[in-house]
Formats: sequence, C-alpha cells, structure tokens
Amino acid sequence: MTTDTIAAATPSLPGRVLGLLRRHPEAFAALLIVVICIAVGTINPAFWQLANLFDILRASVVRGLFALGVLMVLAAGGLDVSFSAIAAFVMYAVTKAVTLFAPDTGMVVIFCIAALGGALLGAVNGVLVNALKAPSLIVTIGTQYAYRGFLLTFIGTALFMNIPAAMDRFGQASLMTRTAENGFTVQLPAFVLVLAAAALATWAILRFTLIGRAVYAVGGRPDIAERLGYKVTTVQLFVFAWAGMLAGIGGIIHVSSNRLANPFDLAGIELSVIAAVILGGARITGGSGTVLGTLLGVVLITLVSNVLIMVGIPSTWQTAILGLFIVSAGVFFVLQRR
Amino acid sequence: MARDGNSAGETNDGSAFLEVSNLHKRYGGVHALRGVSFSIDRGQTYHLLGENGCGKSTLIRILSGAQSATEGSLVIDGVARDRLNPIAALKAGIETVYQDLSLLPNLSVEENVALNQQLVEGDGRLFRGVSGTRLRATARAALAKVDLPTDTAFLKSRIEELPIATRQLVAIARAIAGRAGLVIMDEPTTSLTRREVENLIAVVRRLHADGVSVLFVTHKLDECKAIGGQAIVMRDGAIVRQCDIAGVSKRELAALMTGRDIDEGRYRTQPRIGQPLLETRALGKKAAFGEVSLTVAEGEILGITGLLDSGRNELARALAGVSPADSGEIRIAGSAVTLATPSQANRAGIGYVPEDRLTEGLFLEKPIEDNLVMAVLRRLRGRLGLVDRRKSAEVANGLMQDLKVAAPNIRRPVQSLSGGNQQRILIGRWLAIQPRLLILHGPTVGVDVGSKDTIFRIIQSLADGGMAVIIISDDLPELLQNCDRIAVMQKGRIVSTDAATDLDEAALYERMGAALQLGTNRNRA
Repeated sequence: MTTDTIAAATPSLPGRVLGLLRRHPEAFAALLIVVICIAVGTINPAFWQLANLFDILRASVVRGLFALGVLMVLAAGGLDVSFSAIAAFVMYAVTKAVTLFAPDTGMVVIFCIAALGGALLGAVNGVLVNALKAPSLIVTIGTQYAYRGFLLTFIGTALFMNIPAAMDRFGQASLMTRTAENGFTVQLPAFVLVLAAAALATWAILRFTLIGRAVYAVGGRPDIAERLGYKVTTVQLFVFAWAGMLAGIGGIIHVSSNRLANPFDLAGIELSVIAAVILGGARITGGSGTVLGTLLGVVLITLVSNVLIMVGIPSTWQTAILGLFIVSAGVFFVLQRR
Repeated sequence: MARDGNSAGETNDGSAFLEVSNLHKRYGGVHALRGVSFSIDRGQTYHLLGENGCGKSTLIRILSGAQSATEGSLVIDGVARDRLNPIAALKAGIETVYQDLSLLPNLSVEENVALNQQLVEGDGRLFRGVSGTRLRATARAALAKVDLPTDTAFLKSRIEELPIATRQLVAIARAIAGRAGLVIMDEPTTSLTRREVENLIAVVRRLHADGVSVLFVTHKLDECKAIGGQAIVMRDGAIVRQCDIAGVSKRELAALMTGRDIDEGRYRTQPRIGQPLLETRALGKKAAFGEVSLTVAEGEILGITGLLDSGRNELARALAGVSPADSGEIRIAGSAVTLATPSQANRAGIGYVPEDRLTEGLFLEKPIEDNLVMAVLRRLRGRLGLVDRRKSAEVANGLMQDLKVAAPNIRRPVQSLSGGNQQRILIGRWLAIQPRLLILHGPTVGVDVGSKDTIFRIIQSLADGGMAVIIISDDLPELLQNCDRIAVMQKGRIVSTDAATDLDEAALYERMGAALQLGTNRNRA
C-alpha cells in the first residue's frame, strides 16, 4: 500500500518539469530569469556584459537583505511589513548619532549597532505578536506607522548629505571595476559580500539548527508544533528579531551606497520584497521557502526593473509586467498543489 | 533515557510499566476523573473503551503530560512522576499518536519521525544544532519497524504528499523512534481501510515483541475483539471493568460503557418501499467508477460498500454534485437531472452528509443554529430579504429536539459538541431542507456506541417517513443492521447487490475482494 502509491508514475517531459517545480518551486523564478535574459540578450546584445551583472547585483543587495528577513518570518507563518520602517529608523538614527557624537566610528561597530537596534525593534514585533495573539500582519502594519512616526517626530526629517567617513568609504569600496560600453565605469561593490554572508547565515540556521526546523514546524501547524513541545513564542521572537536585524543592516548599506540618509526613504518597498519571496517559491500561508528561492526572486524583480529598459520597454510597463509575474506565480503554485 | 530511569528501564522483571492509582481530575465544578486506578504491563495490548465524555480524553491528556491531575499518583517504569509536561512524558517513555496524528504537513518524513527525539533530548531548547545523519539513522530504524520504505526519496517526501494510511504509520514510527514503553493510539483506525487496519495490527504485534505496550482508545468494539488484549472500560470518570476482552461479549461491553442495554440486532423492521426515486444508468467518472446502474426507492435504505479505492467515495460525491460524474444518466422520480453542483443536487431534493464532518460539512466556529439552517436560508427570508431570526430559531430548536442533540442552546459553536452530536447537527441540516433522498457518507465515523444507536434510530424513522436513504460506509455491521439492500463496489464497478438479510460480514468481505482474516500477519508480496 505504501511503496506503489508513493512512487512517481509519470516520466513524460511535462510531467517531469511539473514534478521538478513541485519539489523545487524556486525553479519557477530561475526559469523566468533565464527566459528574460535570453529574450533581452537576443534583442539587445549589449545586455551581455559584466557591467550589467554588477548593476543587478548592486541593486539587489538591500532588497535581498530585507527579503531574507521576510523569508524567515514567512516560513514561521507570519508576515512582516515593518522592516522598511525599521531600516529607515536604524539607518537615520545611527547615521545621525555617529555624525554628531562619534564621527570616527569604524564600520564594524556601526554594523553591530545597526544590527542590534534592528533586532530590538524586530523583537518588539515578536513580543506584541506573542502577547496580543494578534495576526502579525496587523501588528507590523501598526509598528510600521509607529516607527516611522517616531523617527520623523523625534529624530529628524532633514536629509543628511555628509555621512560618516567610514560609511562613505565602505559604500565606495569595490571588488572589481569594469568600464561599460557607454563609457561609464561600473564597479562590483564590496557590500554584496554582506548579502552573501547574510544569506549563508540564514541558510545555515534554517538547515542546521533546531530553531530553524522549528521555524518551519511552527509555520506549518503552530498548534501541533506546540503539542509536540516546540516553544512557539521563542520561535516568533527569534524570526522577528532576525528580520529586524537584517533590516537594520540593510538600512546602513542603503545609506552607504547612496551617500545620503533620507528618513523618507525605503517607504513602499514592502510589497515588492514580499513579492520576491513569494516568486521564490515560499507560500504566503507559511511553512515553506528557501534562501536560494528568495535570492532568485529578488534577482528576478531587480532584473525586471533594471534591464527591460534596454529593450525599449518603458518603465511604466515594468510594474505591470511584475504584476503579471506575481499573479501567474500565484496561480501556478496553487494549481500544481492540487 | 531519563538519567534516573535507567536502572528501572533495563530490568524487565515483569513489573508493570505504568501504574496509575486513584487519579482525580476536577475542572471547576466538574469531576472528570473520579479515582482512576489501573496498571499497564510491558508488551501487551490494551483497549480503553468508553462513551464520549466518560473521561477517556482527560485521562490521555494527563498521561501525555498535556494536563496534570488534581490528585493521585503515576508511577512510570518504577519512578514516581507527579507532574508531567509533554517533554517529561516523552522522556519517561509515553508516546501518544493523536487522532489527528499531529504530523507537521509541510515537513519531511524524516523530520516528522526523528526531529522530536532531538528536541526532547535537549529538554525543548531550540538554540542547538541538528544532526542530519542521526536524524536519518533514527528515522530509518523507526520506519523499518513499521514496514515503511527507508529510501532517501521517501525520507524526504513531505507528509502532505502521502496517503492517510502511510501518515498513520509515520505517526507510529515517530512514537517508537525514541525508547517508548507505552504507545497510546487515539482512534487509530477511523480513517483506515480494513487492509490497512490489518497492517497496523501487524505493526502492533511487532512492538509487543520489543516490550512496548499499546493502549488503543476506540469506539470500534468489533476491532477490539479481533485484536484481543485487555479491555479497560470507563464510564462517568471511573473504571468500571478491566478484564480480558475475549471473556466479554460485545453486548456486555456496550452495556458496561453506556450503563444501558443496547441491542446489537437489526434496526430495520418492516420497510414500506414505494416508487423508485433515484435511478442511475451507466453512470461513470473517469479514473473513479463506471457503469454504475442502481435504483433506490422511497422508503428504502440502500447500503454501498467497498474498499477505499473501490470508487464508493467518488460515487457518493458524484450523487451529491460535489464532483460530478462525466458520463451516464441520473433520474429523480423518472425525470433526468443534472447534478453538476451541490446546489443543483440540493434543488433536486438530495441531501448529502459528508464523511469528514470536520472538513467537509460543518462550520465549527459558527453556532449550532447557523449550521442547521444554512441550507434553507431562502425559506427563512423575512422582510427586506433578511433572514428572519425568529423563524430560524424555530427551525433550529425543532431539529435539536428531533435529533436529541445534547447542547445547552442553539447559539453554542458546533466545535463545543461531541463527535456524535456534531454528526447529528450535520444530519439535521439536511433534514431542514426536507430532502427526498438522503446520502449518508460514513454516518457514524468517530461516534460512540450510545450516539450510534440514536443516529440509527433517526435513519430508520426517516426511511419510515418515506425518504430514500443511501448509506456509504465501510462499517459492515452498520450496513447489515440498517439497510434493505447492500451494493458492493470493486475497482469502480458494482459487483453485487443483495438483500441485507441474505448477507453477513464474511459474505460482504468476499464480494469486496478482501477475504482476509483480521489479525493474521499477512504475507506481503
């Protein structure tokens, strides 16, 4: 009764592709990326240059860090939309504090403060979700407004053009430099390494630790996880703190790379980040999602917003195409689960 | 595994694994357990029998550490354990396979089987590493014991991809992955076919050989008798009898459980069969069933049975318009009808009480009243097209009385009721539309003996009132007791239709293609 019902019965090609997508939903984003690259590259061969890859990587870092945090929360069955506010809060508060009180602070210390601050703000989300037993979407919509309001009221609204020297240097540090065909010099910024490290850490936690497995367990069925002895409150606190930490780090990178701190920045990025995680194969209902898929989802979204312009698709259309992708991914994932 | 329990665990000197003495549990004013005492030896089978509300669930919750007793003592493996929590109960060697299996649907088989062991070892601490190799080794060993595959593909498959019988075995594998001394199985056979039940029993026998005891919690007296072992019968929070199950008849057991005498004989007496109501001709659905031609008359009760893959479930759902047939013809009272949606079936006068009342039929958080009147809202329309609450309450209260639903009032949510009462609510909903044909799909799944009796009486009085009834079930005594005729399906076809009085269980099994002796360890091909 067991072996024969479990064994796959369709070796046909479409069947195999469907099977692959069922087991590895992140292949969906990978497939779209390949299709876009081939299409754009065929129409405009200028696409195939390293400078372009650098651009896409650079543009993916901040969204990627946010997406890794959202992945963690989503896998545990929650939803976080406050990360952009946490990032804005941390980047502005830290930049301002460092500039005013300790302009010589090194980059490592700045990152540590930002990570800690972000984690604390994220943990507030976790505490509220646990204490109020409220849906995390509602809690984080609330804290998003609260954090932004607090930032603009008490910390400041003015742009910071003179960011600390350490951040400026860090934002300009490059791993490689290329001159693009249009004569501009394009560099691969060093801060892509931060994304790589964050991705590696998130992957390792999800795969090699009990808390990582507990994240998926709680995301699948919190009631059953509780009954089996997993501490649901610990898991909630951890995932929100992790998302907050990555948001804080992402905020610092945003300032370093733009060379200015604007407290109004990053607003409205929430849905595109959640969309990236979903395109990467995570279920909105929780209990699934991979780091690889999330990174692919982020690259896909960056690709759509950065390279379609190269084949003459106006930027107003890019949003529509993105919407189409998200809807088709949603429909596709639902259909193949039936 | 417990530091202090090692010495007691190794010596298998015939002492009891678990001794429960004088256990009491009070919830506010309710005295749920009134001095329960019993002991469980190593490597034996036990059956905990009792009606819903007798205290069985409370007892299990205490043994599995989900609740603590008000007074009384537990001695596990020679060690007194006053306060258990879920992790402590697992460490002491008591594992519970819940009725819902408590598997995590999105995790892999190996994680479900073996992850809990690592969690328990660390006393529930989460900030620790997971050993992948040990996870796999533990899972393999446990899966092998329950006869499941141990290849990597199976270890990596997600629970939600597996059929229910496999999930059941996975849940058992998890229970024995540690060093269990007692595995409690709460209604383990509810959703299994007969063949799968046999497989389960074979697994239990192997557990006994390792010194593991099993406590079944169940309503199915036939099965308990076939499995054998000790019966522990509870009523009103106390144990009324502990004895060898072979020494008592089913009727005696039922009497012990309910405190009244329940007749196991036929409920069907002198049917008044009228004009044919439902006729199907060569009804078929791709990959499910075909060439199904059957007739049910007014006042007649037709039983349909077969193994799980026989197409009986699909046929039921097709007649209810839930997943329509794609070929053939359906006639109601002589005129052809299309049953493409549940509401079409509803309008044709067909009421359908689905098998899985929890997922298919009831809105558990909604009040009893809303559930009862759901199908007849149009009739309850008052001024401005809104639902007339007075009329609706009238209908609901009437049905509550007719069906003898035990509930304080119609505003209570359905989930606060016992399984038997939930089933009555579901039947009540379809009675509200006054159907001409009522299709009951597993009407007494998970229902205790006393409620079963009431449900059977309701079914009989409906048929006596001229309603045509189809019962689709794998509970053969239930069909034999209630039906006029019983049709048997095999591989999507109806292979026989006989008068119930000409049949017995053995004859039905033979027709189902499942002439197997319950309890023997069958040879697997």
